[in-house]
Amino acid sequence: MTNYMLLAPELILTLVALTTMMVGLFIGKNKTILGYFASIGLVAALSLTVSSLNANETLFYGTLTIDALSQFFKIVFISVSLLVTIASIKYTENDQNADSFFTLLLFSTIGMMVVASANDLVTLFVGFELASLSTYALAGFDKKDPKSIEAAMKYFIIGSLSSALMLFGISFVYGMTGTTSIPGIAENAGALVGSPVGLIAVVMLIAGFGFKMALVPFHMWAPDTYQGAPTVVSALLAAGSKKMGFVAAFRVFVVALAVLSPTWQTAFAILAVITMTLGNVVAISQTSVKRMLAYSSVAQAGYIAMAFAVMTPMAFAGGILYTLSHAFMKTGAFLVVAVVGYMVLSDNKNAKDIDHIDNFKGLSKRMPFTAFAMMVFVFALSGIPPTAGYISKFVLFSSTIEAGLVWLAVIAILNSAISLYYYARVVKYMYFLPAIGGKVSEPAPYAIALILALAGVLVIGIWPEPFVYWAMEAAKVLI
Amino acid sequence: MNIVSLIILVPLIGAVLTLLTKTKEQARVIALVSSLAPLVGALYMIMQFDSLTPSMQFVESYNWVPSLGIYYTVGVDGIAMPLVLLAAIVVPLTIIYSWGEDKQPNQFFGLIVALQAGVMGVFTSLDFFLFYIFWELTLIPMYFLISIWGGPRKDYAAIKFFIYTHVASLVMLLGIFAIYFAVWAQTGTPSFNIPYLLEQFQLLESSLLRDSIFLALLFGFIVKMPAVPFHTWLPDAHVEAPTAGSVLLAAVLLKMGGYGLFRVMLPLLPFTGSPNLMITILGFIGVLSILYGAMLALAQTDLKKMVAYSSISHMGYVTLGAAALVPLSVSGAMFQQFSHGLITCLLFMSCGAIQHIAGTRIIADLGGIGSKMPKLTVLMLFGFMASLGLPGLSGFVAEFMILTFAYLTLPTYVLLALLGIVVTAGYHLWAMQRAVFGSLNEKLGNLHDITNYETLSMAILALLVLYFGLNPAPILGMMTTNAEQIVSLMAIAGV
Repeated sequence: MTNYMLLAPELILTLVALTTMMVGLFIGKNKTILGYFASIGLVAALSLTVSSLNANETLFYGTLTIDALSQFFKIVFISVSLLVTIASIKYTENDQNADSFFTLLLFSTIGMMVVASANDLVTLFVGFELASLSTYALAGFDKKDPKSIEAAMKYFIIGSLSSALMLFGISFVYGMTGTTSIPGIAENAGALVGSPVGLIAVVMLIAGFGFKMALVPFHMWAPDTYQGAPTVVSALLAAGSKKMGFVAAFRVFVVALAVLSPTWQTAFAILAVITMTLGNVVAISQTSVKRMLAYSSVAQAGYIAMAFAVMTPMAFAGGILYTLSHAFMKTGAFLVVAVVGYMVLSDNKNAKDIDHIDNFKGLSKRMPFTAFAMMVFVFALSGIPPTAGYISKFVLFSSTIEAGLVWLAVIAILNSAISLYYYARVVKYMYFLPAIGGKVSEPAPYAIALILALAGVLVIGIWPEPFVYWAMEAAKVLI
Repeated sequence: MNIVSLIILVPLIGAVLTLLTKTKEQARVIALVSSLAPLVGALYMIMQFDSLTPSMQFVESYNWVPSLGIYYTVGVDGIAMPLVLLAAIVVPLTIIYSWGEDKQPNQFFGLIVALQAGVMGVFTSLDFFLFYIFWELTLIPMYFLISIWGGPRKDYAAIKFFIYTHVASLVMLLGIFAIYFAVWAQTGTPSFNIPYLLEQFQLLESSLLRDSIFLALLFGFIVKMPAVPFHTWLPDAHVEAPTAGSVLLAAVLLKMGGYGLFRVMLPLLPFTGSPNLMITILGFIGVLSILYGAMLALAQTDLKKMVAYSSISHMGYVTLGAAALVPLSVSGAMFQQFSHGLITCLLFMSCGAIQHIAGTRIIADLGGIGSKMPKLTVLMLFGFMASLGLPGLSGFVAEFMILTFAYLTLPTYVLLALLGIVVTAGYHLWAMQRAVFGSLNEKLGNLHDITNYETLSMAILALLVLYFGLNPAPILGMMTTNAEQIVSLMAIAGV
């Protein structure tokens, strides 16, 4: 007997998305109400997902699976979406296209949730495309800003290429194993071992997912897109849509192609090292905070990718926990940039370079709460206790020692130290440099979103037990 | 909740309250009260403390992340108790000394109290995870104290301090991971409990692994102390930090490194792959710090930088005494930590007062200020005498014990270290003579004596230095019990 209640979060969000779209056609200029409506839908979906954490079932002839891993990632996606939606209530305040914004946001969330649950490569691809197409449009939402359009175009072209590569890889896997079902592939994957076709398939899939995860050398689009897109959308891309690449890779590599692990394990180790190093080193020289966060996000993807190189239950738990922590700290950091952008624009309507680090000067005087939140987020990103970033790094980095990969641990830890430099610089600008301009109060939606993100970062950091436990349960699905 | 948790929690809450205050008056009063509470707690603990047992007392333990073997476990023994007392004494005195701070007083006092919470946590944690959190937590307030209230090159000094010590902590973290997983693999249960891990360490089969763990942890601690050649962050941090920051840095934060030596390194030492080599390394680092630190102090033109280098030199005695592994040299080294904490406070407060009143700390630009500042001169002279090891004061007890008893096992090193004593006496007296005595330098303008708050805090320190110099037995008693236990491990290991 199939329990369709397990799909209730997806169904609710689909209904909310469709309703938002329809209602948006009829109500007039003030469309803020739709943002509240979408937030309520997301809260409902979140609580339903949390209530079925321990579920373990497959639905629709084995194409969807509801297990600890899928539920964990769904919580990540819904949380990010919720934070972004709340903050966007302010961002889309006087925009008559607010209805499309929220609809696209919800559809992208649904897409990511489908990927989290996908137990079949075709389902996975459909979810991937649903999420990607929605985010392409969102990235270009600021359609009067050429940078936003550039961001969307770049993202679209490179995203399409990566989809093509992924599909190419999937077709090879299908051709050799005769099935697209993930457990089915796992059974027949022996056919791929030692054959050049298997190698090509792995390379194609790594490239396809690597684009989404923004692993070096597939990261080129990320800084431009994150910088050009509206900041709330950058938050969604960096904290949400990127994780879709990880959950897909977990399912496809670790579950379906486990027998090929010698091939992809080394590849991921190398990618992880160059990704974190390049991300951190390039982030140092950035003057745009948004771009700095984009490179830091690249670096963080490198840390998470270590899980594929280490391949122990502890490493997977660390990687999974890291995605949750990263969701809160990265979304929070991007939202702070959005708040600062709002502040700069309220000083001067025609301001340029609103994400320049100079705008963070003396932020502690101008917006004490936002500055404090940003301090917690950047400290969390650099892994300072007692924040979510610390406990996740703790579990993830410690797993490399457990597996005997001391060189990887040393590189990761050195990277962590490098990253402190550019994170501390933001704190320095906010707290030590003199402020230009008076005090500004944060608009309520931004403040609420920041408080929620801050709560996430601190709760996971101070009371990590349930989250570590969930992450370990989710990791058990993989091994 | 028992007393140990309270002395961590009260300052933590006090720090938040202080940060939220609006006026200077509220800020400093709340900060003082919340930093005095741990002193009351520490005195209560001393009275209840049983000096005859080396085991942990006032232990408290709660589940935190049981799936990874992480527990909130705190407690004290003879190694930790005196340092808890030291931190409880020094922080309120620092607040009294800085009573007139006008620049963002709520943040200033809040950070000082937060630092106290962090340090108390480091000295009482019995779980490596918790220990590491507190260890890192002490960095953040110090970073801010330097970079907001510091001198002209504060940005450089703050970043250098942060990155240097953070990298060292990360290396230590690697060591913690390694011992955690190695013991996990050995016994099948995950645990971050410090005493448990230290006990299980000897069962690890690979001697290379044991050596690597030892060296990784050692690196974390000796950078913090700091020992030559990893000392370069300290003079910069001291010179640029505000007086309160320097006082806390030298009196409390450096002691965390020494504490790690006694808590973690010495119990592991006999069971490493090559204990004799490790003793040689430690002894060498100790003597090098004593001599090189003293030489550099002699060469300084800035009074505060001189005191900073003298700290490095004095912390070298701690390493040397620990490396000798004779019960009384080890307890002497522990006592050196306690005594140096008090004395260096007095020295940095004197330098701060001179900088504040005369507008310069360059020794050559001072001269004869004693005639205008009698109170400062008396207290400063007292501090300098204590620092160079005048009998009757606490510094003498510690250094005498270290040199006498370390001679039993490390005679060559001790003979070399004796040279350092001459240099130490030299730079102290020479600096006093040039800066304070002689005829007044007319260019200095109007000088006045130190304020009552400054006098009060410095006088209390001077009295404590005298008291512990005349009556070191209660504190030494606790230390010796634990030192004997540590040394007895050597016999067990058959070294």
